[in-house]
Amino acid sequence: MKKLSVGLLAVMAALLVVACMNQKAPAEQAVSSAESALAGMRDGAQKYAPDQLQAIDATLQQMKDNFAKGDYKAVVAAVPGFNSALKSLKDTVDAKTQEASEALAKAKDQWEPLSKDVPKMVDAIQSRVDILSKSHHLPKGVTKDSLAAAKSGLDSMKSTWSEASTAATSADFTTAVTKAQAVKDQASGIMKSLGMSSG
Amino acid sequence: MADDKATAAAAGNNPYTQTHVVQSGDSLSKIAQKYYGDPALYTKIFEANRDLLKDPNKIQPGQKLRIP
Repeated sequence: MKKLSVGLLAVMAALLVVACMNQKAPAEQAVSSAESALAGMRDGAQKYAPDQLQAIDATLQQMKDNFAKGDYKAVVAAVPGFNSALKSLKDTVDAKTQEASEALAKAKDQWEPLSKDVPKMVDAIQSRVDILSKSHHLPKGVTKDSLAAAKSGLDSMKSTWSEASTAATSADFTTAVTKAQAVKDQASGIMKSLGMSSG
Repeated sequence: MADDKATAAAAGNNPYTQTHVVQSGDSLSKIAQKYYGDPALYTKIFEANRDLLKDPNKIQPGQKLRIP
């Protein structure tokens, strides 16, 4: 009886070793595939879904730790959860990439008219400020303060416009449009304060 | 005067340059007084409208002048 038990234990131990050996290759493959799949979307994930990336990185690290400990079963068991998280991450990155692409296209469209209009507004203001600076009296509705504000406004508009142009040159149309729109709004206000809005 | 010509060039094709439609009784000096507060600056308006005006003393009602 004792002899039989020892034999059974030996067989069970052997089966366990075989089972473990059988799980090692799939586990190794699982870790390798997970690393490879994640590497392919890491850049986009860092940009658009850093929290999800952090969570899935933690899952991958756990899989690696389990593999290192020889717990291949745990590695294989973690695969469905990892795949599910990876799909969710991919969906998020794809959606946000599409969103960013649409926003960029929209900003590019907005930049075109702004890039033509804003310098002309600034030129018109510069011209009027230069003339009013030579005037012995200011016209009705224009004060010394509004002229002084227009002069300093010109400096800040030119500076912001330069930043907008630099952003556009770098294809950062979102920043370019934001800055150009700010200059346009400021220019509109200055034109109004100098009585340039109506004929 | 060179300064006036630079002003005129800037105003030429700029849609944001203000305009004034000449009314009966207007003169460039009166228009300069209205927009600049100084009638002596009428030359700025004259130079900006050299394509329309040959003589600063001759403007016609209905003319649309650029006010740089």
